[in-house]
Amino acid sequence: MDDYANIWLHRAKWAYLLLVVTTLMTPVFYVMYISFNENGFGAAEYVFTTRWYGLIFADAQLMNALRWTMSLAAVTTVLTIPMALLAAKFYKATRAKVPVVFLLLAPLFVAPDILSAALLVFFKNLNFTFRWLGDQLGVSFMDGWAQLGFTTSVIGLIIYTIPYAFVVILITMGRYNKEQTEAARACGATGWRAFWDIEFPQIRPGVFSACAFTVILCFNEYTRTSLLKGGFDTFTTVLVSQMLNSGMSEQSYAMSSFVSFVAIALIGGIIVFTLLRSEAAARRAQPVAEPGTRSTAAA
Amino acid sequence: MNAIHPTVQVRQLSKNYGSVQALKNVDLSIAAGEYFVLLGPSGGGKTTLLRTIGGFHKPSSGQVWLNGQEVSHLPPDKRPTAMVFQAYALFPHMSVLGNVGYGLSLAKLPKAEVRDKSIAMLEMVGLKGYEDRRPHELSGGQQQRVQLARALVLDRNILLLDEPLAALDAQLRKDMCLELKHLQEKVGITFIHVTHNQEEAMTVADRIALIANGELVEQGAARDIYRTPERRFTASFVGENNLLSGTVASVEGDTVTVQVCGQPLSVDRRDLPVSTGATVALSIRSELVEMVPEDGSASSADGLSLAGTYTESVYLGLTLSHRVALSDGTQIVSRVVGESDAPPPVAGSAARVRWKPGALRLHIN
Amino acid sequence: MTAPTDNGLDGLPPVEPYRPTLRERMSGWAFWVPIVFMVLFFALPMALTVVFSVFERTMFWMEPGFTLAAYENFFFSARLENFLSSMGYSLISVVVSFCLGFPIAVFVRKSVPQAAQHRVVLLFILPFMVSEIIRIFALRPVLQRNGLVNETLINLGLIDEPVTALIYTHTGVVIGEVLSFMPFIVFAGFLAMEAVPKFIFEVCDDLGAGPVRRFTDVILPLAAPGIFAGAVFIFVNGIGVALIPNILGGPGAVNGGLIATQAITALDFPLAMAVSAIMMATLMGLLYIGHRLFDLTKILAPMN
Repeated sequence: MDDYANIWLHRAKWAYLLLVVTTLMTPVFYVMYISFNENGFGAAEYVFTTRWYGLIFADAQLMNALRWTMSLAAVTTVLTIPMALLAAKFYKATRAKVPVVFLLLAPLFVAPDILSAALLVFFKNLNFTFRWLGDQLGVSFMDGWAQLGFTTSVIGLIIYTIPYAFVVILITMGRYNKEQTEAARACGATGWRAFWDIEFPQIRPGVFSACAFTVILCFNEYTRTSLLKGGFDTFTTVLVSQMLNSGMSEQSYAMSSFVSFVAIALIGGIIVFTLLRSEAAARRAQPVAEPGTRSTAAA
Repeated sequence: MNAIHPTVQVRQLSKNYGSVQALKNVDLSIAAGEYFVLLGPSGGGKTTLLRTIGGFHKPSSGQVWLNGQEVSHLPPDKRPTAMVFQAYALFPHMSVLGNVGYGLSLAKLPKAEVRDKSIAMLEMVGLKGYEDRRPHELSGGQQQRVQLARALVLDRNILLLDEPLAALDAQLRKDMCLELKHLQEKVGITFIHVTHNQEEAMTVADRIALIANGELVEQGAARDIYRTPERRFTASFVGENNLLSGTVASVEGDTVTVQVCGQPLSVDRRDLPVSTGATVALSIRSELVEMVPEDGSASSADGLSLAGTYTESVYLGLTLSHRVALSDGTQIVSRVVGESDAPPPVAGSAARVRWKPGALRLHIN
Repeated sequence: MTAPTDNGLDGLPPVEPYRPTLRERMSGWAFWVPIVFMVLFFALPMALTVVFSVFERTMFWMEPGFTLAAYENFFFSARLENFLSSMGYSLISVVVSFCLGFPIAVFVRKSVPQAAQHRVVLLFILPFMVSEIIRIFALRPVLQRNGLVNETLINLGLIDEPVTALIYTHTGVVIGEVLSFMPFIVFAGFLAMEAVPKFIFEVCDDLGAGPVRRFTDVILPLAAPGIFAGAVFIFVNGIGVALIPNILGGPGAVNGGLIATQAITALDFPLAMAVSAIMMATLMGLLYIGHRLFDLTKILAPMN
């Protein structure tokens, strides 16, 4: 803002911005509020309790679902991040930028139900094809290929998360000066060493953020997992089927809040961490006194 | 220097980017221990040439030979070259010492040795005591010194410098130029230095190659390039030359008479194939031109002067430039050193520019 | 000069003939992995929806054949009507999101110090990081008859009777869509505003252009590609995310995603594929129009 701007107008704009953020978060906070009420939603009297959370952690089925969720998130992240890195490097090097970026960002524009319906039918057909092939060849090892299950869910989740990871990594890479890679090559580093020693340490914050994004997105995901998962259940699929079947119960409020807490804690942690780091970097950037005697270059 | 085995040899090198030809059949040969400068306008291909020698670009055709071996297919890390980049090429997450020692630690030298060599090299470039600094805590000049140390510590026999001083301010650039020259004399390896700044080139170079439009226009000792440019382009790019165009009126032995704005000028033929009636270019350095008021005493008969109209004088501190317009509008600049208290002529008055025999040079296109 | 008298080769390590190691040769191919993956598991399945949509429906699955039954089923039934009306409501969501969200992007770019801009935008990632489905479900207790909004309004004495139009209606769907997708218009707008240099604002002030002229003549044309991308994102998600009408909508609130989901539940796979194909066609059409109008590749500029 400049010196002549109306300070109150400026403040009003800030207030509006914060109001919007609060409005967006209100439902989540309200659910958290309810989740600690002994009497549940709509009760006249508010009694604080953590009983509903206790119920979740005592529920073996839910804990099992939570384990599935976590392994899905872990495997997806482990696969998505290297792929997003490779894709970002590929994008930087290629001249055919438009097709590459279209392929990687298009999943953002395909609604979850549509994408998972297409993948579901694709995998089922693929599975039938493998079975048929197996029958023709008289072998059975291909029967399980493309069968709905952990692998297909992971594939669905990678398609879902890779655009976010790609964009985050690409933006961080934008600040990297590629002459450094060339300098490392000139020092005798192979392409891989130059990446690992020089570029990666500098894009690491972006890679970490991309990891966090991917974990959170997987943790939250419902539609794709529920259609592609086959036999097992994840935390959100249990939660949603409970809510769709029997409406919001006290326990489902607690479950929703739990998922939200995890996500907010993760992202909040990252924000605080990056802020602290950038503050520290700013402090380091303060000019340092010249060492004792400054000799000129050898003549 | 030995002409049989040049340290760097570039043969018929071409580089295309799509339909754009960045380099066109360049041939170049650089001897061991030479300070060689690639000079030229931006976008002329000099950086492409340097980067192709360093292995950062693959040639479209032609070869690069380093130390008597064909290396065109090798990546940068497999070549006997080290490189200094324009700016911002230090590793920001490493200390100065880490930057300098990086190449040595890649070569798996013992840690103590890496440290000792790096410190010695930092001392050589005048950065003793800066080992633990981060690059962003250094000034631009210091950063380029660290780059120099990082490249020299590798002990390769060819150092490539890509506009190493471009990001520095004018005064610092002058100082660093001299330091570079002295450093090169001390280490005795081949330096190939790219710049668009002719003063920088003159300061450091043993030899200069002028690169423009992807072609090697001319090469030679710095002094020769300045004083006796062969090509018209060289004359226009190096020094402050007046360029004239005219028609050959007659050729007599070694002397050519060229008609410029209806006035005859005589110039040394230099064995160039010229014939009567051809259009040719003439060049003359502005400091060799003297301006005198037209008082009727001088004439065009000797072919060493031109009559025109005085337009203005520009004071540049060390020198003073007088401008004289010829009848076709061409401006001739006469540059004189020193202060003159004499009042300048009245604008629009008749003036004559003249020079000594041999000052004017003939170029054919 | 201290030029050595020899030919400059003695005492130097000889350059060994270079053979790329296996890892170096493999690494070139590794960069194709994500591309191949995306083609195989994204582009191919999406393209195949067209093929599967003309297959014959069987009791539990489908078999190869050619029939337009699925499309007939879609275009000559209440589904088309529902789909079109969901497009209409989705458009309303786009407009509302834009009006509420885009000024924030302009404000952040124009009036927030450079260093703090990204942090402010991060605020809008926060709601987005909470599961979409939970945010949508959470709207039920907020918008219900005895929910947070009605309770608050009654307590404040602004209304006597609870407003029932907030949920299980098309209004509910629009509210859900706006609250779910508005952060995206802030992000898209923020990125798009990168195309609008800050000095433009000063130039406008100099020329005496008011806020309205400034917006229509300068900001909108420059930021158009980004705004369009954000708008398309909201639009296709509005007609594609089944959960929002499913949880917040009333009768007749059925969008493309919900038709597909219901078709899968009813084991009518060709219909689901037909809906997917139609949705893809809609998306492609929109992107094509947008590309012709504003050259969408400009959005990529900040990433290069």
